Amino acid sequence: MTDIKDIWQNQPTEENIMITLSDIRERAQALQSRIRLRNGALYFYSFANIAITLFLISRGVSPRYTMPGLLILVAHIFVIWQLWWRTSARAFPGHLMGTAALDYLRHELSRQRDALSGAWLWYIAPFMPGLIWELWLRATLHPANMPPTADRLMVLFLVLSALFFWAAVGLGFSLAAARLDLRLERLNTLKAE
Amino acid sequence: MDTTRQDQFYLRAVAEFGPALNRLARTYEADASQRLDLLQDMHFALWRSFAGFSEQCSLRTWVYRVAHNVGISKRVRRRRGGLASLEELTDAPAQGSPEDDTHVARALDRLRQLIRALKPPDDQVMLLYLEDMDAQAIGEITGLSARAVATRIHRIKALLARDFGQGASP
Repeated sequence: MTDIKDIWQNQPTEENIMITLSDIRERAQALQSRIRLRNGALYFYSFANIAITLFLISRGVSPRYTMPGLLILVAHIFVIWQLWWRTSARAFPGHLMGTAALDYLRHELSRQRDALSGAWLWYIAPFMPGLIWELWLRATLHPANMPPTADRLMVLFLVLSALFFWAAVGLGFSLAAARLDLRLERLNTLKAE
Repeated sequence: MDTTRQDQFYLRAVAEFGPALNRLARTYEADASQRLDLLQDMHFALWRSFAGFSEQCSLRTWVYRVAHNVGISKRVRRRRGGLASLEELTDAPAQGSPEDDTHVARALDRLRQLIRALKPPDDQVMLLYLEDMDAQAIGEITGLSARAVATRIHRIKALLARDFGQGASP
């Protein structure tokens, strides 16, 4: 049999295509357009939320929940901004593309790990003030048409649901971060070889 | 760096290493349409990277680093499980016999399958070895030490000898 390297280097490839500079520039334009479109969608989402909340406040719908509602709205905007900021220009971090593969991989994994392990701070914590405030308002509402026991059970159900949901979110992030930690450890071992 | 110089580096890189980029994309991506996307991503990343290329390493090292890093990004995003190290693959029983590999296409398929089953950076070392790079060049591209590369090349040779019935040239 011929040498395996020769076979490899002389293999036929169907992608015998010529990617021209104008193709590359078109792709650069398309990337910019995608970024603009995504940002536009995020801004639209934020402004729509702000508009609806302001409309509800001006109409006096559920005035007790106005302030916590605003806090949750601010949290949404903050999280959207964080997602945008953390994912922007990620597809091809130009200054890193020419680094050695192990360093590049470590940087990619570290960035993901840091985002996940810090998620409680930028993804969970921003919602807490508004959520706790809303729960407290609901706990002290005591609707006249609801028996006290049913009211207490309803409050307990809401609190436990919120706890369960956010604990699951936090746990999901932590597990993903721990998996990345293991991969980073393996990379560090490789680097030390 | 002005655009013209960036363009010139890109055109030179494509002229010299275009076929190697095709082979790399074909190995990393089995699906034809995804492969074309990956290849375009590599070219795009390469063109962009030349804006910051100050010739601190050879053009070949730069091109392979960028192309492999695009491949790594794709693999990291996919988070596919079940990848093996060279050591694990060498210890695993061989699939098929060397006689099966008299057909070149089948040998290439098996080579690609082997590489796709490997974890980074073992997959990269094997790819670069097949591209006939020496240990020093592989170390520069992957960031592995010379000793680590030498160990891997030794395992790759054992793997190729077992699965393809030959000792690939060093």
